[in-house]
Amino acid sequence: MSLMNRPYFRTRIAENTRLSPSACKIVFERPEGFADAFPGQFISIRVSEVTVPLLRRPFGIMDLSSTGISALIKVIGPGSSILAAKRAGEEVEIAGPLGGVPFDRPGGEGVVFVAGGTGLGPVIFCARSWKRENISCKTHLFIGAQTKEELLDGLYRDDFSFIYSATIDGSAGYKGNIVELLEKEIDKGGIPSELLYSCGPKAMVRALVDRTGSKFKNHYTSLESVMGCSLGACRGCTVPAIEDGKKVMRSVCLEGTVFNSEAIDWEEWK
Amino acid sequence: MGGVEVTDNKDIRLNIGRSVFENPVFLASGPAGYGLEYINYIDMRKLGGVVTKTISFEPRAGNPGVRLQETPSGLLNSIGLENVGAELFFREKMALLASAGIKLVISLAAEDWDDYRRLIGYVAERDNIEIVELNLSCPNVERGGMAVGTDPDLLGKYVRLAKELLPETDILAKLTPNVRDIGGLALAAEEAGADGITAINTIVGMDIDLSSSKPVFKRVRAGLSGPAIRPVALDAVWKISRTVKIPVIGVGGISSVDDALKFFMAGAAGIQIGTAIFYDPGLPERIIERLETGGIPSRIEYLTGKTERIEDGGKAGDNSGAGCREQG
Repeated sequence: MSLMNRPYFRTRIAENTRLSPSACKIVFERPEGFADAFPGQFISIRVSEVTVPLLRRPFGIMDLSSTGISALIKVIGPGSSILAAKRAGEEVEIAGPLGGVPFDRPGGEGVVFVAGGTGLGPVIFCARSWKRENISCKTHLFIGAQTKEELLDGLYRDDFSFIYSATIDGSAGYKGNIVELLEKEIDKGGIPSELLYSCGPKAMVRALVDRTGSKFKNHYTSLESVMGCSLGACRGCTVPAIEDGKKVMRSVCLEGTVFNSEAIDWEEWK
Repeated sequence: MGGVEVTDNKDIRLNIGRSVFENPVFLASGPAGYGLEYINYIDMRKLGGVVTKTISFEPRAGNPGVRLQETPSGLLNSIGLENVGAELFFREKMALLASAGIKLVISLAAEDWDDYRRLIGYVAERDNIEIVELNLSCPNVERGGMAVGTDPDLLGKYVRLAKELLPETDILAKLTPNVRDIGGLALAAEEAGADGITAINTIVGMDIDLSSSKPVFKRVRAGLSGPAIRPVALDAVWKISRTVKIPVIGVGGISSVDDALKFFMAGAAGIQIGTAIFYDPGLPERIIERLETGGIPSRIEYLTGKTERIEDGGKAGDNSGAGCREQG
């Protein structure tokens, strides 16, 4: 393995902390040569040495220090459950940082984040990165989950200026989904309307576009997708987009992960 | 690797027609894109070559909806030959690839005969196109694709045109396993002048999304690749290499050095790595290192000692009996 500084590595799990019945935070030892990352980028993890599951799994970077790379893992299938069961000291292969388009730095009155599922990870990375860069903009986090314990509120308490939470079962915060809560808070006033950043499942992002699209000047979203190569080569993770009035397919892994929500062809992307 | 003999033959170069490759290990068409995307992951100059993503005359947007679905040790894809089209590829990507020192096999596909004539005519006007791979077997497109690759007469007609219009270029015909007799198709390609056979393309499959009670893919059927199809690919290589004299390039589910050795033992002259680079980009170079130190393993002997060719030329092939009958 000579010649090139290859962006894939064999590394070890430094810590694996269970955060809730379905979520854990894994910190990987940062390998030598792992480049600095920007919010919206991800790592691709080979969770098994055998071929089930076959593909590497992409996870948004939740934080990056000189020694560690952390990611939020939600157990949703066989890949994530194998990963969540790994212990400190175990070796895994990771590639990264991957993803071509970052969250822009904010200006003005403030930014609204909406996070669901593992989408919380990149949003935390974004807030922390801006703090480290002394960007003094107010950050409003809207976080939704099924239950109180899935809100994982210990994870990000100090990272945002304001936190609004919603649970489906009503065990904490607003009872209902996070998009409804955002609508209500916008109606009340006090929510900056310049910039919305969302990161989460497609259904959540779609609901945001449908119901709050007109309330924000710009809505950028970091999308999730099943990925093959994670490098823009295989064209497996594409979403339909519209550019200069033309229908095109854009890869989430390289031409995202962050997209202007207006560029996505929501009619086409069912 | 214990039982595999180390051969004295350390010359691992591969000849296909007049093309010479430093070693017989290629990246398969599709997963690696145009080759450039993997440039930081795989030392492309060490490879025998890179088969590009399939190029069509017009740009193609590819298929809408879900494009990838994992299966046990496999991957269903419905990409639909998304590509930038011939003009942009030959005008821009080719030069970039050449300057990166990548040895290219250009994969080509068309929608119908007219589109094919136009594409091959366009390629004929370009200089220095050493070798192309005709993708006459993609299951993920409405027209062209597999329809041509399953009919020996049509396959022969396509290969003959390429030989006629591209006299300086070597021609690989990539075959689909979704047929009764892949050996007969290989023979048709050889008789039409193909310089080599690539086998196999993906196997047709489907999946259903339980939450919506609908097929996962908009086109319903998709192409299966990955280790799950390896025995099928190995069998196809075995059959084809006993049917034709031209070199056979084996592809389908190779995911370890040992897998690669088996393909050579089954009769492949070269191999391509596809899906495996998604999770193990170091694999092609490990295979090359093994071949450089141990040589290319010899073909295994034909089980019955007989070497008869399959004579039915695709008319009454025999896939159903797992190849038993053709072994006599």
